[in-house]
Amino acid sequence: MMRAFQLLLVSVLLWCGSVFAQTEQPVGQSGSGSEDTPWFQQTPQNSKFALIIVGASANDEIRSRLRGWVTDLHASLREDYGYDSDAIELLIDDGSNVGNAASIVSGGSRVADIEAAIERIRSRSNAGDQLTVFLFGHGSSTFGDAKFNNVGPDMTGSELADMLSPLTGIDMVMFNTTSASFEFSRELAGLGRVVVSATRSAAERYDPLFGGFLVTALQQKRADIDRNARVSVLEVFNYASGQVSQWYRDQDRLSTENAVLDDSGDGLFSREPGTGQPDGLLAEIAYINVISAGTQKTSAEALRLTAEMQSIEREIFILRNQKVNYLEEDYWKRLEALLIDLATRTRRYNELP
Amino acid sequence: MNYPDVSRLLTSERAVLRRVVHRSAAIAGLCMLSVLPVSDVEIPGTQFNLSLINAGWAQPVELSALDNLTRGNELLLRGSYLGAIEAFNSVREDAWREQAALGLSKAMAMTGQYDQAIAAVRALVRDPAASPLAATQLAELYRMTGRSAEAQELLAQVVAGQLNPPVRTLVQYGLVLDLRGELDEAAVQFNAALARYDSGLVFDSADVGMVALAAWKLDEFHDANALFAEAVRLDSNNLEALTLWGDLFQEKFNDADAETNYNLALTINRRYTPALTGMARISSPERYLAMSLEVNARDVAALETYGLLMVRNYQQDTGRDYLDKALAVNPESVTALSSLAALAAINDDMPAFDALLQRVNAFSPESSEFFAGVADYLGNNYRFTEAVAYARRAIARDPNNWHAHTVLGGNLVRLGEEVEGKQHLEMAFDNDPFNVMTSNMLQVFDVLEGYATLETEHFRVNMSHRDAQVLWPYMAPLLEESWQNLVEKYQFEPEVPVVIQVFERTEDFAVRSVGLPDIGPLVGICFGKVVTLISPDTLSANWQEILWHELVHVFTLQMTQNRMPRWLSEGISTWEERQARPEWGRRLGLELVRAVEQGQLLPVSNLNEGFTGANSNADLSFAYFQSYLVVEYIAEQYGFEKLRELIMEYAYIRDESEMFANVFEMDMVSFDNGFRDWIQQRVDQINVYVHVEDSDDEGAGHGHGVRENNSAVLAELYNNESLKQHMRGRVEQQPRDFQAHLQLGIVLFREAAYDEAIFHLQTAQGILPDYSGYPSPSLVLAQIYEAQGNTEAMMAQLAVMLQNQQHDYASALKLAEAALAAGDTGQADYYLSRALAVDPYEPQIHRSGAQLAQQLGDTGRAVREFEVLVMLDQSDPVDARTNLAGAYLDNQQLDQARLTVLRALETAPGYQRAQDILLRAVERSGQSSEVITQP
Repeated sequence: MMRAFQLLLVSVLLWCGSVFAQTEQPVGQSGSGSEDTPWFQQTPQNSKFALIIVGASANDEIRSRLRGWVTDLHASLREDYGYDSDAIELLIDDGSNVGNAASIVSGGSRVADIEAAIERIRSRSNAGDQLTVFLFGHGSSTFGDAKFNNVGPDMTGSELADMLSPLTGIDMVMFNTTSASFEFSRELAGLGRVVVSATRSAAERYDPLFGGFLVTALQQKRADIDRNARVSVLEVFNYASGQVSQWYRDQDRLSTENAVLDDSGDGLFSREPGTGQPDGLLAEIAYINVISAGTQKTSAEALRLTAEMQSIEREIFILRNQKVNYLEEDYWKRLEALLIDLATRTRRYNELP
Repeated sequence: MNYPDVSRLLTSERAVLRRVVHRSAAIAGLCMLSVLPVSDVEIPGTQFNLSLINAGWAQPVELSALDNLTRGNELLLRGSYLGAIEAFNSVREDAWREQAALGLSKAMAMTGQYDQAIAAVRALVRDPAASPLAATQLAELYRMTGRSAEAQELLAQVVAGQLNPPVRTLVQYGLVLDLRGELDEAAVQFNAALARYDSGLVFDSADVGMVALAAWKLDEFHDANALFAEAVRLDSNNLEALTLWGDLFQEKFNDADAETNYNLALTINRRYTPALTGMARISSPERYLAMSLEVNARDVAALETYGLLMVRNYQQDTGRDYLDKALAVNPESVTALSSLAALAAINDDMPAFDALLQRVNAFSPESSEFFAGVADYLGNNYRFTEAVAYARRAIARDPNNWHAHTVLGGNLVRLGEEVEGKQHLEMAFDNDPFNVMTSNMLQVFDVLEGYATLETEHFRVNMSHRDAQVLWPYMAPLLEESWQNLVEKYQFEPEVPVVIQVFERTEDFAVRSVGLPDIGPLVGICFGKVVTLISPDTLSANWQEILWHELVHVFTLQMTQNRMPRWLSEGISTWEERQARPEWGRRLGLELVRAVEQGQLLPVSNLNEGFTGANSNADLSFAYFQSYLVVEYIAEQYGFEKLRELIMEYAYIRDESEMFANVFEMDMVSFDNGFRDWIQQRVDQINVYVHVEDSDDEGAGHGHGVRENNSAVLAELYNNESLKQHMRGRVEQQPRDFQAHLQLGIVLFREAAYDEAIFHLQTAQGILPDYSGYPSPSLVLAQIYEAQGNTEAMMAQLAVMLQNQQHDYASALKLAEAALAAGDTGQADYYLSRALAVDPYEPQIHRSGAQLAQQLGDTGRAVREFEVLVMLDQSDPVDARTNLAGAYLDNQQLDQARLTVLRALETAPGYQRAQDILLRAVERSGQSSEVITQP
């Protein structure tokens, strides 16, 4: 019953506000939905933080591979998504032996280091800000609690959840890319959070490929499937999990990892989140990008066209979500009319000085 | 064509040989060990002990009549037939004389002494009704020896004279009636046996086994299975039930369970010939049949099985001998008669066929089994039209012959008559759902229903929707190119449409081709009018070469009404590969020289033995190669017209030497001598040294796949000083040792000793400039030049490699991209086509293809490439659809442009490139926002 209620709540909220939740609006102007959606309503006034945690590595080859991934991730967050360097906490192993990543590493990934990093983020964040946590390395769930293998005592999912609990009002996205990540990730699930796990059960114990494809998805906004110049968590998830599946297909091997996502807070993860699924609606509006005011055209005509474009875009989203309720022909007829309208206004907007 | 391999007892053969099961073993009733040791007499207080026997052998003691009878039965059970005969002969007391005579008769029958077996039991049968068991056994012996009329009369007397005739009598009577074509009467007897069981009056294991056989004959296969299980549960030593149960499994293509049963029987009696013959139909046929015939040189089932095996391995004379031997014992063997009739039919010897039919008609008019057997054999020998005619005749005589329906359905499918074929298969399946072959073939129909059907002028093609989108654009023009080319060349126009079925799953391909999912390394099969192929999506070989190869078979088979021998058909198809494209086909190189040095070449008159006697894929691959050599020889020395004349000779049934004499005006020996001289000239021209320690290159799919040079692959793996030293020694001794130069080049390349590596690789290249194996000197040279940063030289070597290596799409793509960058559209086009011939599923080939099309301004081609990319490039569907929409727009396909870009914008409504295409499409079509139809 509780699950049904939560799903309904999220669905209703998204129904109203999904289109405008992350649109780059002129300062002071908010879409109708933004007032109703409690999560992921960042505006240019909000900050976004990233916490990248790399656990202990079993050998040099893995250490090198993980370091390469997170170095690329760090660069992509800055270059592709607008993060300030000091908004990214990169914690690696014991903090030493990090090669040419020394300038971007904040410290080790011991439990105490993680607590300290979270405290630094807490001290600089405000309600409405967003934190994305990336976990790389090894996980295990052989002996009771699922654990993230870091230097020193391993960290459980509930311990990390506890550490994050002081960040009240902060929207959170978690990417856990470790082996046996599922049980650990389940401890992190909560209302208003988007949690991605590289594996869907404790039995998936081999080092996943998902982490590498996650970084690839983010780099150069490859995952931006809807071409809106913003990358949502759902897009990242779909891209990376699709690449993982393709890799196993190409190798003609059975997949030993299946990524899952939960954003309804119930700890029940979905393999194919999205329209019509219990999960995915929040992930669709949870964007990795930092919102900037950008360069907007400020003429009255430009403002009017912007408002009209946003309105049409919202209608398109609503129509798309209602696709099953229309006859096929009618659906495409309506959609084409809206798309032509949107394209016409976009062209006119672009032609304005 | 890749006919199913008949060299070993592969699936298709087993499918046919198992027909013998039904007709020979179960129905002919060869299982003579039905009676337990003194099972139907009371022997109070007697506990037979094997140690007694053993002790008896060690220390002869005076045994009583009962002891001798018991010992005789036990020895009979264990397969000591001569000992059993001796023991039974020792029984003198009247009380046990009948039992002893029955045992004696069985032991004699098991060793082929049928006359003595009959004599032993006939004395007991003065009044058949009063001696039902003896009379029944005598009737079984009569049936086994071709005296079914006497058997019928005898059994009729027992049944008429007994209120409750023994179950065995009822079933054996049913079998005789069935054999003699009195099907309704036979069913009455079988039903009577089942009724007896249903009334709870059958307790004995042997009788339960007989009831099981009756259920089998009534097509109650489920009941038969359960009853056999019960019979064996009642008595685990019931060899007859164990073996018949195995036969039932085998008839339904369940070899695993059949083998288990036969093995159980052989564990009890390793000389039990019905089980040995059953095993022969599953594996190691020669071994098991030799064992069987050693026990009983007149065992009809073993003789029939051996005869069929020989016939299927193109040793018709030997096969006929065995079948004649079987008929000498049992002149009423339907299996032997129909097999001989099939041989007569395949040789167009209709007088002989009619004579054999008359022999059958004498005891079983218009025998359905006879015609079904002929049809099955003809179908397996590519004579599908005649097979269909005989199968229809079988069904006309017995509409409930489900095996005949399966044969008819399967052969209709091979003729492209799918609708009627499916009807017969469904009928067979509805009545015999345990027949795995039938259900497999029907499942493939389900697969085909999900496939697309595409057509060109002369071809109708079934393939998956993925292949329809990706493969078809490139296959369709190749089909028509081959048609035009081959029609002109062979002056023959095959019947149209030629049906081509491209299967994504190898199992479906195999079932469609031979009925069972195991077909070995074959990648394509031609049936004359129908070609089956494995989708290139599951291959790493040049699919175009395979397709062309099979299409040549369409011509040569139809030109000869499917009468062409395998060696010539394969030889021509393999030879035609290189005629079509210079990079396709075989090369005269190491393989030829090695074959000559090792004396592997067969006389031309025995070329089919290369296929039938092959013990490995390598052997079979070599059989293709030698066939190709003969065709190359004919074309080069005598001209193509002579080759065409030879093909036409095979349209008639003549002796092969006569055909060669007609065409080449010489006998086979002279022809063979000429061929060998020509080969020797080629070997001299090639002038390469072949070291004994090197192995043959191995290629998948009978030479259609990459031919890996194992020796060179090892050199790539092992980079050690001793290998280098050894190879240096070899080239010093034999400067034309190609392999040694190549391996040295590889080792030196690994050590970055580039100059010396280049020397050896160039030397190897000079020795065999058209070497087509992997790795080749040109490939390694390209890698060296790449390491040296010499792109131009690298590309030059890749181009050299591709002149002879047809399976390397990556190098072709690399050359195409370089040509595109250089603006050389001709070269780009050529190399892209080379890449597509191997892997049309690689997206990058199509991206480059689209780029080329745009350079050429070929908007239609751009559309084709982007259409394929929408299917293949799943990582960015929005971009793929937008690209396709743009291509449609450029190609004036405005409706498709709008429909396609809508799909992109549905996902990405703000994507301005797609928006622009939508607006331009709308503007050009002069409409505002009217949606044409559904995307």
